Amino acid sequence: MVNYGGDEVSALVIDVGSSSVRAGYAGDDTPKAVIPTSYGYHRAPLDADSAMTDVAEGAANGNTGKIAKMYMGQFGPSVWREGMEVTNPLSDGLIHDFEPVSALMRHAVVDVMRCNISEHPILVTEPAWNTSANRERMAEIMFEEFQVPAFYIANTGVLNAFAAGKGSALVIDVGQTMASVTPIVDGFVLRKGLVYSPLPQLVHAHARHTLLSPSPLRGGRGIDLFPHQLIANKMPVEANAPPRFALREDRTKGTTDSWRAWYEAREVEEWIQSVAGVMEQGWNEQVAASRPPKQYEFPTGYNAYFASERYLVGEQLFWHSPQLIASNPSVPKTLPTLISESLRACDPELRQVLVGNVVLTGGGSLFAGFSDRLSSELARSFPHVKIHSPGNPVERRYGGWLGGSVLGSLGTFHQLWISKEEWMEHGKAIVGQRCK
Amino acid sequence: MANAADVRSVLDLPSTRKLSVQTARKPDGISRELFSLIGPSSTTLVAQLAKPRLKQKPNLGQGSKIKWEWRPFKNSARTDSLQLRHWTKASAEPDAEYPFAKYNVQPTTFTYSQDEYTRYLDDKEWTKEETDYLMNIVREYDTRWYVIQDRYEYPGGTTRSMEDLKDRYCSVCRKLIRNRPWAGDDASKNVLMSSFNFDKDREVLRKKYVASLESRTPEQIAEEEALYMEIKRLEQNERRFKRERDDLLRTLAGIESGLPDVVEDETPLNLIISDSKRSKKKGGADPDSPATPLISAPRRPLPPKNTAYDLQHCITRTELTPLTSAATKAAHQPAYLRSFKLPFPKASVAPKVTQALAELGVSHTRLVMPTQGNVALLEGLIEAATALVETKKVVDKVEYDIQVLKNRLGMQGPATKMEETDGGMEVDEGGDADGDGEGEGEDGRAQSVVSTRSARSRKHARRSMSISSVDTSATVSTRAGTKRQRRT
Repeated sequence: MVNYGGDEVSALVIDVGSSSVRAGYAGDDTPKAVIPTSYGYHRAPLDADSAMTDVAEGAANGNTGKIAKMYMGQFGPSVWREGMEVTNPLSDGLIHDFEPVSALMRHAVVDVMRCNISEHPILVTEPAWNTSANRERMAEIMFEEFQVPAFYIANTGVLNAFAAGKGSALVIDVGQTMASVTPIVDGFVLRKGLVYSPLPQLVHAHARHTLLSPSPLRGGRGIDLFPHQLIANKMPVEANAPPRFALREDRTKGTTDSWRAWYEAREVEEWIQSVAGVMEQGWNEQVAASRPPKQYEFPTGYNAYFASERYLVGEQLFWHSPQLIASNPSVPKTLPTLISESLRACDPELRQVLVGNVVLTGGGSLFAGFSDRLSSELARSFPHVKIHSPGNPVERRYGGWLGGSVLGSLGTFHQLWISKEEWMEHGKAIVGQRCK
Repeated sequence: MANAADVRSVLDLPSTRKLSVQTARKPDGISRELFSLIGPSSTTLVAQLAKPRLKQKPNLGQGSKIKWEWRPFKNSARTDSLQLRHWTKASAEPDAEYPFAKYNVQPTTFTYSQDEYTRYLDDKEWTKEETDYLMNIVREYDTRWYVIQDRYEYPGGTTRSMEDLKDRYCSVCRKLIRNRPWAGDDASKNVLMSSFNFDKDREVLRKKYVASLESRTPEQIAEEEALYMEIKRLEQNERRFKRERDDLLRTLAGIESGLPDVVEDETPLNLIISDSKRSKKKGGADPDSPATPLISAPRRPLPPKNTAYDLQHCITRTELTPLTSAATKAAHQPAYLRSFKLPFPKASVAPKVTQALAELGVSHTRLVMPTQGNVALLEGLIEAATALVETKKVVDKVEYDIQVLKNRLGMQGPATKMEETDGGMEVDEGGDADGDGEGEGEDGRAQSVVSTRSARSRKHARRSMSISSVDTSATVSTRAGTKRQRRT
């Protein structure tokens, strides 16, 4: 019962990220529900009178009158619907639109996990650069809307360190939209050492540019990024040959721009995940050319072998050409820059401790060769580098959730919950006091 | 398949079925056919085929079921009335203390009144408000200084380094402890005081060192490492030189050198060599037994009384050559049996010497009567054979070298002839010197071990060697020369 300091009170852990919302029981090793954060919706006709509004208003909080119906989860944005728009309530890792987020959390807990949300204490995660207004809003949703008995909001950096079994660590988190380096000491974020940049967005843009721009390798054409939902039929073709496919003409008219942007991003993402890599020892044209090319087939049937360009994509995380920096001064900083900036802000005594406890996490770090490259970059300036990078992709992608699961199932943690009673008594101020 | 009964009936043997039925039952793990063939007689087989007995399963639950309950609990570490639920054994007490509440330990904090502040804690760098803020934040973050420094944001205050904060906090605590009435004894007060000791200047200096250690360039690090290795090497050399110098001084000047660890030989050497039985008998009555303090002291002749005694008891005495080396423990000789000290040829030439002796029909490994004379003879023989073998070796080598040089000269012009020869010789000598050095060392050891006679014979051998080969003797002198050079 008291083994390992655990005492499970059936708390739920909800981790809202840019790509997915993870929810599950504290004490489990994987989240029970993982749903995409992007959701589809139909706008109610603006000029229609209120009697005409959709019957399915329950899923969405319709007080703006804009969104008539939300499509979330497994059959959410990935299903083609006529006139369906797709959007994401997060920007740069922060929630900017809370209404769909509460709907997404409710969907994950109620519809997927089939839990009664008001029965469980809930632990929610937040990025280290979250604003206090955001966390108070989250607490408000929990207590006022979901009527939870207790609530806590924890930092993803700290939780990632806990998931790795460390109290002090340098957490390098590469997510879908943001890359951050967070020094953690004794379970506290050192705010002065926290640095982050939208580096993964740059990588994504680079990959998209690689695919779309006309290339002599591909017969002077770019690649069509149509999703399978829009393709009626296709024929197998040789590598690099022009694809032979037919679009579903009935759907082209009803496809919205936001859905098109979403599916193109998704096609690029899938290409990155299957093909892209990082050179372990730094960029080297010859070595990159000598690596075996990888074949990838797009939904149109077009397929090609990608050789050194697949390493150029991952290279964007570690190195930017001087021309790029000169042409765009606000280009996101590379990971080595972020790390050295973060360490420079820390006490000199702490640096060696942190570098010996590097925790690599986030789905964006799953490039082949990423951790090797990181250790070779760090070894240049530090003698004793140790990187903890879980080999299991679930642990790497959902490190924040996993740490929350660890924290929420500890017996000693239960004194930290903000109870409903405390919320009623102290109001929003209690969140900042309790969750340091 | 035919079983034992069938065989018996075929051979008209009386049936034993009745008996077997009575005695044997088929054990488990053996097939029926096999059992009917071998019968109950083969016990070993049965033992092997018997089902293995597994260890008894542990009875973990003491046999009875345990009832668990989903029960609300109160956490005494909380200030509110939040009730969470968890699974507990139904047998557990409903209002027991929450087991994790005891980990909620509060650190001791210091508070002070306005009066105390003005009297003891006034500091021109700090206002009371900022000190209050500092004390609060230290309590809030439980003296985790890295976090405190990170979160320290006093509105309108100057930026404070971690050392500033630590220094202020520790000095406040120290002053409060010192000036307040103390309930316990002085020792515990001092212990508490010392736990708040903080030397700011030293900490700052240390941090500076740490920072400078990190800002080194790779070249600096490499240089530092090289210097470190160099100093280690120099230290080692220095030690070795000193040791060798001391050794030399000790050897040359003995106790007068003024160095420690000069070993005085306390018992006269001749006495040690003599028969153990006799030395026991004589005991302290011998006038010789008081130690001669210096090795350089002249050795007194033995009293004539002993000579008669020796003759009577067939005791032969061997006169040791006066040792030039220090009388250390290694040079000390206890009594020994002569047969233990049969001479052996050097290991490097042993096979050849053995072969040469075998040609003469002599085996040096086994001396039937190791009398003094025999041993001396054998030693002389071996020395001679060794010298012979070594001379042969040298001759072979020189001949070979001459051959090589001749070949080379034949290829090159006659102008370079002289140079080439010289170079060749030099190389030669080096090689020989090494070989001879070894020989000398070994011989030296032999000399200290065996009797004077052998030493004399050795001298003969040396002479004969020098006669037989000019080359070798030359190398010996070279060797000595190099040695001297190194010592100085």
